[in-house]
Amino acid sequence: MEQRAVMPETTIDERVIEACQEGDREAFRLLFETYKDRVFSIAVYSFDGDQAAASDVSQQIFLKLMTSIQQFRGDSAFTTWLYRMVVNTCIDERRRRKRFLPFGEVTPMLNVADKRPQEQQYARVELAESVRAAITNLRPKLRLPILLKYVQGLSYEEIATVLDCSKGTVASRLNRGHKELARCLGHLRDQVGD
Amino acid sequence: MFSYHVTRDLSAYCNGELSAEESRRVAEHLISCAPCRTQYEEVNLGVKLAQSLPVVSAPDELWETVVSQYQTQTAEVASETRKFRLWRPRLVAVAASLVIGVTLVGLWFVRRESRPFWDVVSLGGDLRIGNTTIKGKGQLPLGEWLETDNSSRAKIDVGQIGEVEIDPNTRIRLVETKPTEHRLELAHGKMSARIWAPPRLFFVNTPSGVAADMGCAYTLEVDEQGGGILHVTSGWVALQLKDRESMVPAGAACATRPGIGPGTPYFEDASTTFRNALWKLDFEPGDAGSSLDQVLSESRPRDTLTLWHLLSRVDAAGRVRVYDRLALLAPPPAGVTREGVLQLDEQMLQLWKGQLENNWSDNSMFKKKLIDLWQKGGKGKGLEGKR
Repeated sequence: MEQRAVMPETTIDERVIEACQEGDREAFRLLFETYKDRVFSIAVYSFDGDQAAASDVSQQIFLKLMTSIQQFRGDSAFTTWLYRMVVNTCIDERRRRKRFLPFGEVTPMLNVADKRPQEQQYARVELAESVRAAITNLRPKLRLPILLKYVQGLSYEEIATVLDCSKGTVASRLNRGHKELARCLGHLRDQVGD
Repeated sequence: MFSYHVTRDLSAYCNGELSAEESRRVAEHLISCAPCRTQYEEVNLGVKLAQSLPVVSAPDELWETVVSQYQTQTAEVASETRKFRLWRPRLVAVAASLVIGVTLVGLWFVRRESRPFWDVVSLGGDLRIGNTTIKGKGQLPLGEWLETDNSSRAKIDVGQIGEVEIDPNTRIRLVETKPTEHRLELAHGKMSARIWAPPRLFFVNTPSGVAADMGCAYTLEVDEQGGGILHVTSGWVALQLKDRESMVPAGAACATRPGIGPGTPYFEDASTTFRNALWKLDFEPGDAGSSLDQVLSESRPRDTLTLWHLLSRVDAAGRVRVYDRLALLAPPPAGVTREGVLQLDEQMLQLWKGQLENNWSDNSMFKKKLIDLWQKGGKGKGLEGKR
């Protein structure tokens, strides 16, 4: 069975969304708490580990969420709507930054949400750091499906909706992404128990 | 037996995205096809590496930053709207300057029209704003009174930060509206507020105290004599008159009386004896000793809300008794001493209050939802399992 390295799924039901649409700040807080780490993770991995840039983009995303949640009509799943916003904001911001500024210095991300013993945690952080570096080197069209799959836990169908492409395209891009990761990090085979 | 190669399906196979029939076909093919098996091993390693990608914790200050930016943005929108309203009358004034008399009349008109206002809608019956009767939608300008009769109700949009519903037989006035403060005056009647602004941005003046919103929902009722009662349904409300302040959490209520100010807050599920005795203690202090006896003997751990407030409201002898009961129900944390509390050391009182608040606000929607979500996560209902 597939093992996921992401937090357990939480569910935002219709009542919470409706409360947000009515401007209920506690509901917004709940929404924020549910998605903040996953949104931040996408941003971090999209900005080469630059946490300052990721923080800026996450702020933009949640600000957009607060001001435009009334436009969510329930035609698609909320997560699909949210992650489309996340992906588009990351792409726009990355494009903007490329035009004006070099990316910030890549810093190791030691605040990963992990509660294992210290040695294991260091080994895991080291592995995660290598994977992160390899993933940030992927082209966006291969990187985004991997982030949506492994950070957000979306199905192929949901990824296809978010990225506005077919399920077959998602499968093909993931295939290529997986192979590129394996080629870059083949020396870590033992650490992932393959 | 001949079969097509399965390299295109390998990721979907590893991710469990194929149907049982498709998975079986891929598995059977892999047994017999060495090239596809090599590809499978490569993809499977990629899958395992990707699975080790951790979720990165968002910075702690992210929420505050988002809320702060939201506030700035809404304030800027309000400011632009105000600028536009000022700009429009100036054009009118320039045109009117050709004739001095017309200009004067125009300026008077414009000044009146450019007053900030809140949108009002009738929820039934006729409303009265100033001298005008409103049947559907209307505007409540700064400084103007809104009145409902015995059959009318209204809803007011409080800028972009919340809404207030007005019950029948209520008289209410817009006292202030600006990015840093929104204030109503409730002369008599009943209103229900739902506010999603940061704390201490929305206030309601009453004849016997000021209610300051701390991010909440509540109802406030004022009688003809100026006495009031506050019921909080979500978040916190601070009730204040001069230096007397009551902090009222969700599920609690607090009465106010002219000349005295806010009474002591209490949870609405406290016993009738407790509430009656507290009322006498707050507003009929003839036999304070006996009332305090009843309050103390009837108090439960949750009523530490009331006892904590009483510490600074009773005399020295009463304070010793309140302290003893409070310490019995919820022992003070490290750093809080009996002597310090009896001398009303502010730091110690706040430290103790911080600990006691765990008993006072455990029914907020936010905490309930978090617990609910945590429980769902803990049952091992993984994302894949739900699909």
